[in-house]
Amino acid sequence: MKYASRRLALLPVQLLLVSLIVFVLVRQMPGDPTFLYTGPFATTERVAEVRKQLGLDEPTYVQYVRYLERIAYGDFGLSMRTSQPVVADLRQRLPATMELILYAVVFSVLIGVPLGVYTAIRSKGALNRGVFVYGMTSGALPDFWFALVAIFIFFYKLHWLPGPIGRIDLLISKPQNISGLYTVDALLTGNWPALASASGQLVLPVATLVFIYMSLVLKNTRSAMEDMLRSEFVTYARAAGLPRLMQWRYALRNAMPPIITVTGILTWFLLGGAVLVETVFAWGGLGQYAVQSVVNSDYAALQAVVLFSAVFTMVIFLLVDLAYFLIDPRIK
Amino acid sequence: MSSDNPSLPATPLPRVGQQTAWRDFLSFTRQRGGFQLGLAIVALSLGLAVFGPHIGPYPTETALPGMPLQPPSWRHWMGTDVSNMDIFSRVIAAPRIDLTIALVSTAIAFAGGVALGVISGFFGGGRGVPKLLSEGIMRAADIIQAFPVFIFALALVGFRGPGTENVIAALAFLNIPYFLRITRGAVLQVRERPFVEAQRCAGNSEWRIAFVHVMPNALTPPLANISPTIGFSILLTSGLSFVGAGVPVPTPEWGSMIAIGAPNMMTGQWWTALFPGLVLGIVILGYALVGDGLKEFLDPVNKR
Repeated sequence: MKYASRRLALLPVQLLLVSLIVFVLVRQMPGDPTFLYTGPFATTERVAEVRKQLGLDEPTYVQYVRYLERIAYGDFGLSMRTSQPVVADLRQRLPATMELILYAVVFSVLIGVPLGVYTAIRSKGALNRGVFVYGMTSGALPDFWFALVAIFIFFYKLHWLPGPIGRIDLLISKPQNISGLYTVDALLTGNWPALASASGQLVLPVATLVFIYMSLVLKNTRSAMEDMLRSEFVTYARAAGLPRLMQWRYALRNAMPPIITVTGILTWFLLGGAVLVETVFAWGGLGQYAVQSVVNSDYAALQAVVLFSAVFTMVIFLLVDLAYFLIDPRIK
Repeated sequence: MSSDNPSLPATPLPRVGQQTAWRDFLSFTRQRGGFQLGLAIVALSLGLAVFGPHIGPYPTETALPGMPLQPPSWRHWMGTDVSNMDIFSRVIAAPRIDLTIALVSTAIAFAGGVALGVISGFFGGGRGVPKLLSEGIMRAADIIQAFPVFIFALALVGFRGPGTENVIAALAFLNIPYFLRITRGAVLQVRERPFVEAQRCAGNSEWRIAFVHVMPNALTPPLANISPTIGFSILLTSGLSFVGAGVPVPTPEWGSMIAIGAPNMMTGQWWTALFPGLVLGIVILGYALVGDGLKEFLDPVNKR
């Protein structure tokens, strides 16, 4: 428990440092934000007045403390593009991104881990060579391009899947909002048309993310498994005459920590990767919001997204560490 | 590097050692098809970065007269885009900007990352100011790497405004922690070797030992990572340009060409986005293959 609590105590420190980085980042902005409010032809007195109102006349460290106070109260300001509080915007868009990332992680693990284990056990054969080629190419292909090619083939040519119009068909009403994940909400309320449409819309973006990012899970599972199969305790198990399956089980059990770590890294990667894929599929999540804020110089919104993404990352790696704590009895 | 091994009899002349290394490299290359392919792609991409904008059959930033969106033909090998620009001419002109950004940003990241890595590795675990410096560097790297890469790149460019210099600055900044960690790992091993102690006895200052004697012996891992980092930087640049936060539009750049072609993919003009992305993927693959080959050549013990 000491380990877990010490790990948790680290979080506020990290948060503080991350907020400092974002604060510095925002100050990279060209020009004086005062003029965004006064217009270019304001008198000197008016500029000074607005400057005072915005707190820009105070020393930088006071501004930083003010800024911390505001974000502690969840006040990230108004988005210039949507004229809504940024927090409301984020809350609206977060479930879309989470739904995308959730399915991408689940399928990457469900496919990548067994494939990695299999290729570690049987180090020869066609499947192994195929996996090698896949590992090389998937890392080189841009995800947004892969998404476009997939849309061309499966939507335009074959008509198997719906086009890139967001999370649900425009003619089908959204399911009642419970978790915000359309598929889950539709399932909970028994809304079958919505479930079918939301699932159909998910197929291409999720498949794109899985194809591009799964190799991370696959490669790491394979190398962790190979290490374990070469380890002394598995050699001992083999010498003791334990059945093959048992040896593999021991190996996999001990290969779990690196697999969990890479799942955390994958989730972290996907938050970034989702930005481009969301843009292609008009997904309306955080990633697309980030892009729109950059293109429209919506600084309040951009700042909030960056801060959120860092907090999200920290939570993911915290969970990874806590999972270690649960599965590895040596950490106590 | 091979003559460093004290258990071998001393090689008579350093020049012979260099020739042997070169011969090793050639025979290593001859056995590996993937590495050869990578080298060819890298050489071709560098050639196109220099000559690409001048050897295409059509202008790269002006619309041609006639109908837009022509499919691939003998006149237009990769077809034309929505403003009737020749895609082939633009695809081979794109390495100019993409590689400039990737090479310059990787060079900055390499220089910065190696310098900081030597400091943090050599003085880590020591005492006084250098130790604080070392700790500070590592914590800063941790925090920078807490942000998802693409979102951080987007934010850096977003707050500073789009444009080539800002993309270079963002990528360099993002890649510094990466080189830092690799260098630090190598320095931690090199600093334990006996020659370091010998230099100390000879009266060299710590900083001199760190940068004149330890650093050259710790350069192999970061050098081997230059090539994949270039590939990764090209990928990030194209991603930024794809969403309109990178290289501005008429300039031939793979990501922005894919963005121009994106709407056409949904109406059946597949050539508009397919070719720029395909070439982009092949080039990144080339740099990855070269990186893998170099890693294996420079570190044959840990090869897989």
